[in-house]
Amino acid sequence: MTKVVTDEKEFIAQLLDPKTQNIAFQKLLSDYQKPLYAHIRNIVLNHDDADDVLQNTFVKVFQYLKNFKGESKLFSWMYRIATNEALTFLNQKAKINGVTSEALQNKTIDNLKADVYFDGDEIQIKLQKAIVTLPEKQQLVFKMKYFQELKYEEIAEILGTSVGALKASYHHAVKKIELYVTSN
Amino acid sequence: MKAYKLENEPKIATGFKTPDDYFDNFSTKVLQQINDREVNVIPLYKQKKVIAMLVAAIVIMALMIPIINNYNNKAKDLDEATLETYLSYQSNLNQYDLIKELDSKDIDKLSKSVALEQETLEDILSSNPNIENLISE
Repeated sequence: MTKVVTDEKEFIAQLLDPKTQNIAFQKLLSDYQKPLYAHIRNIVLNHDDADDVLQNTFVKVFQYLKNFKGESKLFSWMYRIATNEALTFLNQKAKINGVTSEALQNKTIDNLKADVYFDGDEIQIKLQKAIVTLPEKQQLVFKMKYFQELKYEEIAEILGTSVGALKASYHHAVKKIELYVTSN
Repeated sequence: MKAYKLENEPKIATGFKTPDDYFDNFSTKVLQQINDREVNVIPLYKQKKVIAMLVAAIVIMALMIPIINNYNNKAKDLDEATLETYLSYQSNLNQYDLIKELDSKDIDKLSKSVALEQETLEDILSSNPNIENLISE
């Protein structure tokens, strides 16, 4: 564990040093682009939007690196930026279209069937529709636990909540989803 | 209808895909965007700062014009004492030049101030050992 922390401190130092910055940032990109893309795509659902949000996320990570205090892990700090970027993006898009965030997500799910970057059938669509009915926090917890298979401790660090509260949230989410799928 | 149980069913994948070479080109795209922002944003900010500083400098100089003018005017006004000292010690003016400049009013003033008291005159005459010279003159 100590080794991991030291390695991370060294890596952050490399990211801040102008001489090593480029190589370190390339490594950061290659290590995190896929998990962060999956996380963002699960929130915004559509590839083009996920691409925009992921780019903004990395640009912000680069800009705010000098303010990174190392109080949390680099991984959870980046996930937090990605989550905020994705949720802000969704709210702004809903506002522009003059609809609620839930209505916008439902519309996006309907469009998924025609999306070339979506390879799913009825059950996937039904699951996504069930997730949209959940409160925002439960949606996030469910997606991070079920799809991304993150540990509760990791999710707790990203969302700033206790593991106990997360387990309760996930449990409620699963119950509601099961109920939705059974009745639809 | 049988109740659906998520844990009893096979895991449902998201079904989300990306274009084939998406992650190969992604880092280049991000680095490009970071460089573009650095090139575009920072000079604009610097330029604004330079313009603001120029405007501030011009305003300050404009405000200083009356102060400078005032200072120069004051410097040109010679006070009486300085003039007197200059005339007494530095100039080539002699007694006759000064006399030439006197008018009748000045002469009247001089004669008044020269008028001596009777007692003072007596004192001078009595204490002066060369009184005879004075009388003969």
